[in-house]
Amino acid sequence: MVTTTLHTVRVTVNGVPREATVPVYRTLVDFLRYDLGLTGTKEACSVGVCGACTVLLNGRPVASCITLAVQADGAEITTIEGLADGERLHPLQQAFIECGGFQCGICTPGQIVAAKALLDANPHPTDDEIKEWMMGNLCRCTGYYQILDAIKRAAEVRG
Amino acid sequence: MSEYGIGRPTPRVDGVEKVTGRARYAADIALPGTLWGKTLHSPYAHARIVRIDTSAARRLPGVHAVITGADTRDGGLWGRGVKDAPVLAYDRVRYAGERVAAVAAEDEDIAQRALDLIEVEYEELPAVFDPLEALRDDAPILHPDFNSYVGFRYKQERPSNIHHRTHLERGDVERGFAEADLIVANTYVTQRQSQGHLEPHSILVYIDPSDGRVHVWHCNKVPHFTRAALAHTAGIPEERIVFHPTYIGGDFGGKGNSRLTPIAYYLAKATGRPVRMISDYLEEFMAGNPRHHVIVRLKTGVKRDGTITAHQVEYIVNSGAYAAFKPYGTIGGANQAAGPYRIPNCRIDSVFVYTNNIPGGFVRAPGEPQGVFAIESHIDEIARRIGMDPAEFRMKNLIAEGEETPWGERLEHVRAREALQAALDAAGYHEPKPPYVGRGVAIGERGTGAGEGTSEIALYPDGRVVVGTPIFDQGTGQYTTIVQVAAQELGVPVERVRVEVWDTDAVPSDSGLAGSRGTYVNSTAAYEAAQEVKRALLRLAARELEWPVEALTYADGAVRRTDTGEAIAWQELVARAGEPVRGRAHVEVPRSHTTAFVAQVAEVAVDPETGEVKLQKFTTAHDAGTVVNPIGFHGQINGAIAMGIGYALMEEIKVEDGRVTTLSLGDYKMPTMRDMPPLTTVVLPSEHGDGPYHIRGIGEGPCTPVAPAIANAVADAVGVRIRDLPITAEKVYRALRQNDTTKG
Repeated sequence: MVTTTLHTVRVTVNGVPREATVPVYRTLVDFLRYDLGLTGTKEACSVGVCGACTVLLNGRPVASCITLAVQADGAEITTIEGLADGERLHPLQQAFIECGGFQCGICTPGQIVAAKALLDANPHPTDDEIKEWMMGNLCRCTGYYQILDAIKRAAEVRG
Repeated sequence: MSEYGIGRPTPRVDGVEKVTGRARYAADIALPGTLWGKTLHSPYAHARIVRIDTSAARRLPGVHAVITGADTRDGGLWGRGVKDAPVLAYDRVRYAGERVAAVAAEDEDIAQRALDLIEVEYEELPAVFDPLEALRDDAPILHPDFNSYVGFRYKQERPSNIHHRTHLERGDVERGFAEADLIVANTYVTQRQSQGHLEPHSILVYIDPSDGRVHVWHCNKVPHFTRAALAHTAGIPEERIVFHPTYIGGDFGGKGNSRLTPIAYYLAKATGRPVRMISDYLEEFMAGNPRHHVIVRLKTGVKRDGTITAHQVEYIVNSGAYAAFKPYGTIGGANQAAGPYRIPNCRIDSVFVYTNNIPGGFVRAPGEPQGVFAIESHIDEIARRIGMDPAEFRMKNLIAEGEETPWGERLEHVRAREALQAALDAAGYHEPKPPYVGRGVAIGERGTGAGEGTSEIALYPDGRVVVGTPIFDQGTGQYTTIVQVAAQELGVPVERVRVEVWDTDAVPSDSGLAGSRGTYVNSTAAYEAAQEVKRALLRLAARELEWPVEALTYADGAVRRTDTGEAIAWQELVARAGEPVRGRAHVEVPRSHTTAFVAQVAEVAVDPETGEVKLQKFTTAHDAGTVVNPIGFHGQINGAIAMGIGYALMEEIKVEDGRVTTLSLGDYKMPTMRDMPPLTTVVLPSEHGDGPYHIRGIGEGPCTPVAPAIANAVADAVGVRIRDLPITAEKVYRALRQNDTTKG
């Protein structure tokens, strides 16, 4: 019989304290999606290369599919659900809509969260800096041009 | 451009949901008591299943059901149209990765542990991987019962691995070759490409015990077709099944496929609980349905002045183990391998061959990138052989208005040369370039697909405008299109219009999304629904206001009297009636004879030391109709070009002895933001297109000429010709070294 070690993980997600008791091998993306019900974060490649599951862990972008929930214990987490201020969209969210920075939308939460980390670290990135930072976020729909436009527009709006 | 809808850059109506994480995909749907389903896959490419022992898996606490082919074989075989794939393998497996058993358990981890406890004894059989070997008389026959399968038009006269073949001949091909000054023959080979939708296949099935209804939430863009397929396989009436709408996380051909549907159904039936299945990306690669590996042999006769006298195509499709994942068992591309050229004498043969590989499926413009890579590389090679510029050679031979394609189709409003010229001009094709820099050109075309669609527009007393649709949008923006139509026709701002997506109970059937037809079919349906609702408003005004109906017209958001000039805004009229006013339309739109040409120029720099190809610049020119929404239109072009660049330079599902070895998105390289070159897009709009707004499809065509444009640019840069995709640095390096050796 396989025994499973359980661990109570306490985190602050988008400013709200949350906790759940989960097996030690629970990934952060599963923890967010299935234990906390925050399905805005998406899982695609499961090996940390596509960026769809990007969340901010204490402000830094991580691939939540290869991060364990227990590693996040005590951390502040920002997910796509935490970007808008009520009904007021974050400038990146607004810019993604205006520029057509998404189509199917499955990579979009990860794109926007990764771009937020970029603009937090570097409010006025060059095109090359954007491409370098965002190359870890795959998109099959857009060919990236309109994502690039959206990030630049959001940077302008934020000033 | 209209003040309200058509032609205006319109942000997506699903935008807020998608940028906030609120948009719900199949994997996001939860029902109380949901179990996780998972599948066990064959490690062998061809083997007899001697025995499956599921007893240990069944005993594992938390496991609710374990099923094998024995539990599903009494139903029908599975397939999108043609049916040749078992739901779960029985008796034998035909590819490494084939699903042989499935479990449903309390959670995903228990399901995985249960799979590990299933014992399968296999007896390996001789396998055949190469389609040319599979055509030989002594090859193992994969489907000895082929003639009993449902849906195939082809019948085998004797057991073979051929499940479809075509032959087309026009003119006198032998005489054409005899008249040629030069005959050029080449073979081109294309690799397997994943659809690469970042949402893996996901499904939730629940069978309501109170009435037996089967509820499905699934990333499926053709839910009515899949409902019919499930009904066939499960042996239940179609109307017992309902597909509920969810967002779809990318398609590119893969989401018409529904391989998990019957498995999840059988698990739900066995457990009486909702069952969720989510493929992981390993499964997408190991047991997916990628773009087909195709071998294209071309032979062309040409005169010194550049006149093509004869052309012959042999198009050999490696279908893999099953044809079930292409709706009619076939893909296009064989005709395209003759190109949009004036060729009086032409022979096109295609053959579709079973092998012990993962089954191929539909991928954006199914078959066409294969055929277009071949012909557009080949045309370049011929031009160079006769000493003509490749662009000039194309200009000379491209069909014009009134001329037939090599396969005998007479297209309307042909603008092949205009598209090519626009691309050449925008790319600076003839401008001088430094050493090791090359420019390559390629052209393709794609018509707009046919299909049926339904739309309903409802005007509510509180001022809401709601467009109803049976479409499950896979990302291309259909909801925004129909909102634009409603806004345009009713004279209301797009912001006022909402979309209501129906489940499959709402209409008897619907074509769903495929074949670059979405905007054509659904804008036509919404347009007709709008005309219906306008007529209803006139009748209402006549009744409520006692106005003479023959004197009424609808314009700019109001019903107007042409005799007195009086008018009443629709909101006021509907509020006065106190109940919604509706207009509904069902349309069946025919296949178009208008096509959309796309001409592209790639500019590359090749490193002569390493063979590395850097795509410096890309130009794409599009023969279009009305551009309904520039944001979405360019989004389709941009995404298709990215997919084409991946196909040209990096993407390949590698297979060794039938086993896929690129099993993650780490091993399988898709383009990133950094791989995209500066892009120049030229749009040649026109008033010639299909439907009320004269549109031409854009979703697929732009991805097809990309690879040959790049291959031709590499040849232009360093004089090496890569005839098998993808064009990797290794291949270019080897070809460069071989050239060095040949030159001595």
